[in-house]
Amino acid sequence: MTTQSPTASAVAADDVTEVSRGSLIRTIASREIWVKLHDKGFIASTIFFLLIIVGATVIPIMISQQSHDYRLAVVGDQATAVVTAATGLHTSASSGDVPKVTLTASSAADRAAAEALLRGGKADAALVADGTSLTLIGKDAVPDDLVILVKAAAAQTDVSRVAAEAGLSSDQVRQLVAPTPPKVDLLNAQPDRAVPPILLVMIFGFLFYFAVLTFGISIAQSVVEEKQSRVVELLVAAVPVRWLLAGKVLGNTVLAVAQVTLIVGVGLAGAALAGQSALISQVAGASVWFLVFFLLGFLMLACLWAVAGSLASRVEDLQSTTLLMQATVMVPFFASIFVTEPGRVQEVLSYIPFTAVLLMPARVINGTAASWEPWVAAGIVLATAALFVVLGARLYEGSVLHTSNRTRLVQAWRSARGGRS
Amino acid sequence: MALDRVSFDVRPGRLTGFVGANGAGKTTAMRIIMGVLASDAGTVTLADRPLDLAARRRFGYMPEERGLYPKMRVLDQLVFLGRVHGLTPVLARTRAIELLEELELGDRMTDVLHTLSLGNQQRVQVAAALLHEPELLILDEPFSGLDPIAVDAMAARLRARAEAGVPVLFSSHQLELVERLCDDLVVIHEGRIVARGDAAQLQEEHAGTRIRIVVDGGTDWLSAAPGVTVVSSDPRGTVLELADGADGQSLLLEAQRHGAVREFGRVVPTLSEIFHEVTR
Repeated sequence: MTTQSPTASAVAADDVTEVSRGSLIRTIASREIWVKLHDKGFIASTIFFLLIIVGATVIPIMISQQSHDYRLAVVGDQATAVVTAATGLHTSASSGDVPKVTLTASSAADRAAAEALLRGGKADAALVADGTSLTLIGKDAVPDDLVILVKAAAAQTDVSRVAAEAGLSSDQVRQLVAPTPPKVDLLNAQPDRAVPPILLVMIFGFLFYFAVLTFGISIAQSVVEEKQSRVVELLVAAVPVRWLLAGKVLGNTVLAVAQVTLIVGVGLAGAALAGQSALISQVAGASVWFLVFFLLGFLMLACLWAVAGSLASRVEDLQSTTLLMQATVMVPFFASIFVTEPGRVQEVLSYIPFTAVLLMPARVINGTAASWEPWVAAGIVLATAALFVVLGARLYEGSVLHTSNRTRLVQAWRSARGGRS
Repeated sequence: MALDRVSFDVRPGRLTGFVGANGAGKTTAMRIIMGVLASDAGTVTLADRPLDLAARRRFGYMPEERGLYPKMRVLDQLVFLGRVHGLTPVLARTRAIELLEELELGDRMTDVLHTLSLGNQQRVQVAAALLHEPELLILDEPFSGLDPIAVDAMAARLRARAEAGVPVLFSSHQLELVERLCDDLVVIHEGRIVARGDAAQLQEEHAGTRIRIVVDGGTDWLSAAPGVTVVSSDPRGTVLELADGADGQSLLLEAQRHGAVREFGRVVPTLSEIFHEVTR
């Protein structure tokens, strides 16, 4: 007796002889890209990241180059002399240690008049001389850089006065008030780094975490949407299931790599505009390895994300079916943040596929990896990716047509085997 | 077990109706034809050759629960589905626009699918099935949810495809509609095929020996006629059952003696009657 009961089918790819595999996969992939490029959430998050990266590179530079303007109410000749000295400090030899502050002085008759100016908001601080003692008066607070500048200027004025009284020549006075500071030399000097490596690793780690999570969920969502709307029935009647999976993974990988490259590129361009050539050469070198590992790491997880999607039957199920995947993305992220000390642990983790994706580029950035090491780790991640692709394709085949309820992993595995005849 | 030794033919140039109660196995059978489900045993053949994906790609399919991207624009997704079936982008676009205009959806092409009414979504689904000029149409409940005018338009469309030489298999449980439309009929019941073949021939086979008779002057005499059992009698006429071996022609002569015979003919059962008979 021949009985027929349905099991999910997997259309053998070699059935399609006259159809071009490449063009079918491209068609599927370009739909994925098209949908994502019309997704307001995706556009918004990309713009948000670009703004953050531009802000992170340009704003600190702007702050460090910024100079402050202060209006100073001055009482007494002694105070006026200090202000004059403060203005002159910038041009002297040790100007590097002096805050970049521009002072605008206005004389006041006495302390009361100066305080009135201060209270009326016409001055930011007042410098009052009473005999030889000086008082710096602020309303709520006196800015630190102003205090440093006034202290230095007052000390210089005192030294000049005493030196002049002692009959020193003007050259000697200059030597006294502006000593030549010692040069600092290190025996074990590290290359000059514009950004602390830890910060760079954290930024890359966050980019990886964010991109893999958003695009992974986007793959899972695209799969379950096709299941839920039953479009998948139309598609599997015309396209081998594996090609469908390949198209989805390809489309999302292209977008993910493009987005991350854009963000890193804009960051570098922003730094270039701000004149940070040291930062660019440091980050550009690290970025190449980061992008290579990003691509491999993304491919490694992409098929599994598709499986997470195909195990669900409705978008609402995704929360639970993608839980494991969210964990596999979080582990390398937190590892890259917490295992910052070079050592055995970091070395070992930089070869384990999930954590290698971030920790090997981190070791390259830190300069603790030999030149052959990233290649070996990349090979390990690539091999794992190949294994996961095969595994993921089979589980996807076994579950994508079970549209009625949530599919369990074992069930998906068996279905794919039974269906292949 | 959803299907048991299901076997039937779909012939070129003919509309084949696939009839069965809910859960009888219509959708399962259609999914197996389309390769969406695999059968444990048995084959699906096209012109005596086993079906493979390359052949199925030339089929047009309308799944039971429909299948389109809700958030995609109407034209965009038709172009996508056309390309999936191997059309070039330009050809896919041309065909999609032609079909949408034919289906009176020309002004909705750039609308997102889920903003369309269910009837209009169904038309888009039809366009998706016809896009690549399929060699065979498999339509699961194409008439469900359509108003009477849309039903007629859909029927005309299917008829036109059939006349162009495309075999069309469609499932339905609207028996009157199937009766009106179909050339061939397949009846499935609890996973088994209980009737199949030419619709008119099936009706003929199930006609039996019932005769409707209308005679001026009444039919009271019939109760005394040999080999005759009166089944029903109403103002439209009397239906009688002829016993095996009873002669219809002598009954006609007898009737003429009682008055002018206005109607004398075999009662052909409706599809609904056949359906109830074979699924009993």
